[in-house]
Amino acid sequence: MTRMSIQNLNTFDPFADAVKGSDEGVQDGLVHVRIQQRNGRKTLTTVQGLSSEYDLRKIVKACKKEFACNGTVVEHPEYGEVLQMQGDQRENICQFLTKMGLVKQEQLKVHGF
Amino acid sequence: MAEEEMIFDPAMKKKKKKKKAFDVDAALAEAEGGPRANESTPVVEPSNTSIDTADGDGGEEVTQPETSIKDDLDDLDFEKLGKKKKKKKAFNLDELEGALPDTKEVGDDQNEGDDIMKEAKSDNFDLDMDFSLEKKKKKKKKKDLDDLISDDLGRDDAGTDATDSSKPVWTDSDRDYTYDELLTRVFDIMREKNPDMVAGEKKRFVMKPPQVVRIGTKKTSFANFTEICKMLHRQQKHLLQFLLAELGTQGSVDGNNQLIIKGRFQQKQIENILRRYIKEYVTCHTCRSPETILSKDTRLFFLQCETCGSRCSVASIKSGYQAVTGKRAAQRAKNA
Repeated sequence: MTRMSIQNLNTFDPFADAVKGSDEGVQDGLVHVRIQQRNGRKTLTTVQGLSSEYDLRKIVKACKKEFACNGTVVEHPEYGEVLQMQGDQRENICQFLTKMGLVKQEQLKVHGF
Repeated sequence: MAEEEMIFDPAMKKKKKKKKAFDVDAALAEAEGGPRANESTPVVEPSNTSIDTADGDGGEEVTQPETSIKDDLDDLDFEKLGKKKKKKKAFNLDELEGALPDTKEVGDDQNEGDDIMKEAKSDNFDLDMDFSLEKKKKKKKKKDLDDLISDDLGRDDAGTDATDSSKPVWTDSDRDYTYDELLTRVFDIMREKNPDMVAGEKKRFVMKPPQVVRIGTKKTSFANFTEICKMLHRQQKHLLQFLLAELGTQGSVDGNNQLIIKGRFQQKQIENILRRYIKEYVTCHTCRSPETILSKDTRLFFLQCETCGSRCSVASIKSGYQAVTGKRAAQRAKNA
């Protein structure tokens, strides 16, 4: 009677993944939002895995204005372009990305404490 | 009522205590002057309950997605977190019975007449009646926290009260069984045959809280790291890797078997990460049992469940992109 059993009763949709991948323009793969501690109380938020279809420079520009913080785009040989924002912007950035329809909620993965 | 519930959320703990005190009082009152208390209660009850369900449902639906997530995490109950524990305890004890009276109202829509009858009947039993009232109050408390569970319980138990009084409703009539009745019957049988399930409802996975102490200004010590690894039956290496990746720092295990992490962290934060670790790498993804074995097979980690036998791969730990936070000059010197 627990949620456990309820969970098992859920119908499994074998095409759930297919639906996710089909729509164009929205990116695939996970977007990792991380936080890093700097000196003192300062922190840094990084967003890794945004689709290269988007112009990250424009995103960062909008974010900077929206959250009133500084930010850059960093090129990384392995992870591609990564957004960096000053301060703990994890919630802000998640809301922003979903609201703008760049990333879906389930594609966001927030790391850190 | 709706407003009340809204206010309810933030100040939950306080209210809870108040209610608890009230409950005790109520119980005492019942014990002493059963009939007197009883007289007043039936009058209040019907109106009370109808409102209760109406707004309760509305509120629940709004909050459900959140609470489900939160609830998932909350499963992993850290011991000694006094408040939380209290909450859970209260819940566990009353989980079953607590759900029952409420379901009366859930089923209300379908058979209102029935309900009234039942209430009238229960008037005869002073104690019974009052208890159900009490539980309703408790139920409300739980709403925010264990919304989902109780909601589910409520749904499944709709109409249980009939069967719970030990004989099926349909014995003395030839009418067809309703779906709800059959469902409850099945669950009752399941409970009967598996007493464990009833006792624990869901076995709680109780963890020791991590002991996190600051060392100086820049480092944090996680004192019972090895102990927790042992409790989780996971290799230190694995948990260490996960912790450091999530926190985005460096760290190591020192001679006293404590983990030293660079950066300032609080117990709450570490707890949070442990919860995530447990959810991903300890509990079985199918049955949620914590009795699992994590084994490495061709570079992939697999989680094998001891209870249900399922086996699934789990995500590998990647620390991902790490921005430069230290002194760049120092790094340059290191590379050169």
